[in-house]
Amino acid sequence: MSTAFPSFIDRRTVVDWLGIAPFMIFALMFLIVPTLYLVMGAFFTPDGDLTFNNIADLFTPSILSAYWISIRVSIASALGGAVIGFFLAWAIVLGGLPGWIRSSLLTFSGVASNFAGVPLAFSFLATLGRTGLVTVLLRDWLGFNLYGTGFNILSFFGLTITYMFFQIPLMVLILTPALDGMKKEWREASEILGASTWQYWRMVALPILWPSLMGTTLLLFANAFGAIATAYALTGSSLNIVPILLYAQIRGDVLHNANLGYALALGMIVITGISNVLYILLRMRAERWQK
Amino acid sequence: MKTSKILAWASLAVGLIYFFVPLIGTLEFSLRMRRGAYSLDAYSTVFSDIQFRSTFGFSMLMALFTIIFGMLLVVPTAYWVRLRLPQMRPVVEFITLLPLVIPAIVIVFGYLRLYNSSSFIPFTGSTQGTNVLLVLSYMTLSLPYMYRSVDTAMRAIDVRTLTEAAEILGAKWPTILFRCIFPNVMSGVLSGAFITFAIVMGEFTMAALLNRPAFGPYLQLIGANRAYEPAALAVIAFAITWLSMGLLQLVSRFSKTAPLRP
Amino acid sequence: MSFLVLNNIKKSFGQTQVVKDFDMSIEKGEFVSFLGPSGCGKTTVLRMIAGFETPSDGTISISGKDQNRLKTNQRNIGMVFQAYALFPNMTVADNVAFGLKVAGKPKAEIDTRVKEMLKLISLEHLAERYPYQMSGGQQQRVALARALAPKPQVLLLDEPLSALDAKIRVSLREEIRQIQRQLGITTVFVTHDQEEALSISDRIVVMNAGRADQIGTPFEIYNRPATRFVASFVGTLNIIEATVVDPAANTVRMGDNVVTLRDSIGAMKSGDKVSVALRPEAGSMSDTAKGDTTITGAVISSHFLGSVIRTKIDIGGNPVSFDTFNAPDVVQPQPGETLSLRFMASDLLLVRD
Repeated sequence: MSTAFPSFIDRRTVVDWLGIAPFMIFALMFLIVPTLYLVMGAFFTPDGDLTFNNIADLFTPSILSAYWISIRVSIASALGGAVIGFFLAWAIVLGGLPGWIRSSLLTFSGVASNFAGVPLAFSFLATLGRTGLVTVLLRDWLGFNLYGTGFNILSFFGLTITYMFFQIPLMVLILTPALDGMKKEWREASEILGASTWQYWRMVALPILWPSLMGTTLLLFANAFGAIATAYALTGSSLNIVPILLYAQIRGDVLHNANLGYALALGMIVITGISNVLYILLRMRAERWQK
Repeated sequence: MKTSKILAWASLAVGLIYFFVPLIGTLEFSLRMRRGAYSLDAYSTVFSDIQFRSTFGFSMLMALFTIIFGMLLVVPTAYWVRLRLPQMRPVVEFITLLPLVIPAIVIVFGYLRLYNSSSFIPFTGSTQGTNVLLVLSYMTLSLPYMYRSVDTAMRAIDVRTLTEAAEILGAKWPTILFRCIFPNVMSGVLSGAFITFAIVMGEFTMAALLNRPAFGPYLQLIGANRAYEPAALAVIAFAITWLSMGLLQLVSRFSKTAPLRP
Repeated sequence: MSFLVLNNIKKSFGQTQVVKDFDMSIEKGEFVSFLGPSGCGKTTVLRMIAGFETPSDGTISISGKDQNRLKTNQRNIGMVFQAYALFPNMTVADNVAFGLKVAGKPKAEIDTRVKEMLKLISLEHLAERYPYQMSGGQQQRVALARALAPKPQVLLLDEPLSALDAKIRVSLREEIRQIQRQLGITTVFVTHDQEEALSISDRIVVMNAGRADQIGTPFEIYNRPATRFVASFVGTLNIIEATVVDPAANTVRMGDNVVTLRDSIGAMKSGDKVSVALRPEAGSMSDTAKGDTTITGAVISSHFLGSVIRTKIDIGGNPVSFDTFNAPDVVQPQPGETLSLRFMASDLLLVRD
């Protein structure tokens, strides 16, 4: 190719770059500039002076607690989703279940991982709400008062198990290929070298799967952290998580400082960004091994 | 061997309970509207609601525009990157993944600040402008899925050879793109379209913050004010998701059985 | 009592019987190859020795001890797999140490043994590498060291060379044989490559459709194939369809030629069909060559292959190849000309179908 270091732009190069110009303009206008605008805004006062006060103001108790609840819900639903999802993926790949179960479960996971937002909240309300099916059945059949235990679907715990509905299938979808990559020979080699099943999992399988497991859990974390619709429909604004706080801020400037809103958004980007970058790094590491 | 099989079935049972109990609960709840008997009253109320029809139609229209304009943006780009700018692939792929990293609420927050009625490009200054911005925001949201499915389809057909063959036969580039490339990546386009459809139909954040009468905000409104209709709506939404994903599976299975390469 | 005894082994998967009545006794320190095409059951037999599969019937014993009840991880067997199967998360040293670690050996002992093993395969300098940083040949040597580290009673090699380049394949098989001799370990080697089996083994089992067609030394297998399958699978023997002329005199007809066999035809009558094998290097065109039998046929083709000239002649509808060593005065036969091939009657082998 003659286009390595053009002294002056030749025609072909111009045409080449023009080809992706629409995409680049779109990405700049509707993805990058709006995000950068907020990121920059986080470091300025409404009058345009540079400041770190907005960032510092994030560390006030009410905002910190919003981040803290968000992080807890995200961690809890990511871990719960990861554990159950892992066992499910393991069951369909290595558990020796009939083949049709695998394909049905994968199809279903494709649907369920996309069934989020407002309708998901309705489903869990109809199931575990005060008059939901499970609540009623527990009361009528077993005489067990679910809400008497302090359980509430409109709470941290309720939100967590609702999020797990899309976290579990997402884990299944991402982890199944990783489990498929586990070679049968590794297991056989460890067995014939005298290792027990437990030793195989502890010394071979889990160390190999670790980057995938860790990475996917981080992805689930980011997935839950940015989600708002389910939480908003489920709890209204009674549960003070970051996306809902940001939503309220956009709607009515509840923080009374637009630039503090930018800082709130920046905080979200930083948290989801870090977990995604770690996910990509861990994934690269996992792929290196599974070649 | 025995214990692992028991564990496998047990895991499956836990998974099935988790998946199916809420669905059964929702279905049961949606039938409870009439006192003392199961009925479809909730559904008939929903379907006869004028707002249901208008918001549903609005979201369908938005989904349609999103798919059309999204594909017009994504297919040529993916094609061009494969053909002429392979060195830009990592950059373009990184950009297409950004919407998974940046939460939707943050993106729309940026729009509201950048494109409000007093800015250089006042999208939100008019209803039509806001609708355009909504479609653009949906395109952003679905970018990761659209780009991935189209790019995968392109890898399978080897666009470079196809293009060179068409060029030798004297085809001009619009002909190449619309007559040779688009039809051959149709399976990818359709997969992307179905997933986009599922995303747009249920989307809440963008539409609510841009104040458009879409299906997502309508769902939220009903949820806040009614008892049984939300469950019926959840069942309908789930059916839409199933339909989109089912069609997606069908398309991808169909394209897999078609002999792509000898 | 032999060291490794397979007694009347059968194995079925569902309706299909992949191993039928397999009997074999292997002596301590012996190197035995299972040779056969894919699907002949050789790998299944190996996997039953390893304990990955349970025989449907029959017993396997090592050093007089019945193995059927033992799990794989209790058998103390070493195995090398076709696809290396090194643990990707461990260094070379950790891979080799694995068997010793799970056996709970003290660290000092493990370290010494790992060093010893890496020295054996001459890869001491790569101890801290990961598998993905090494070539296929190096990985397979590590796999061998890993299998040998816990001092197994038997070493199983499941087509360990078939994923490697031709050149490395030859050098590694020599290395394997040399290490096996040095350690005196009883070894079972599965392969579909006859050259590999011939060059490396003390004895070869040629397997066909779940049965052992012939068990013998490489020399016996190559020179005295017992069945038509063995004759065609091992080497490049010619198989000639012949008709019995006189069973009492051991004469058969092939094309226009009537020849006398050394093997007894046995209970056959005149007119029966038999298969006769002839090695390509057994015959000669020269009238003065050693031999007591001559057959004549038309030349089909003749190819110059460098050190030899391979000529094919037609004997009663059977193409018969034979090789002539290249020499300055040699005349290459032309297609269509009639040619006589001279050899010893003892080179003609009667083979079972």
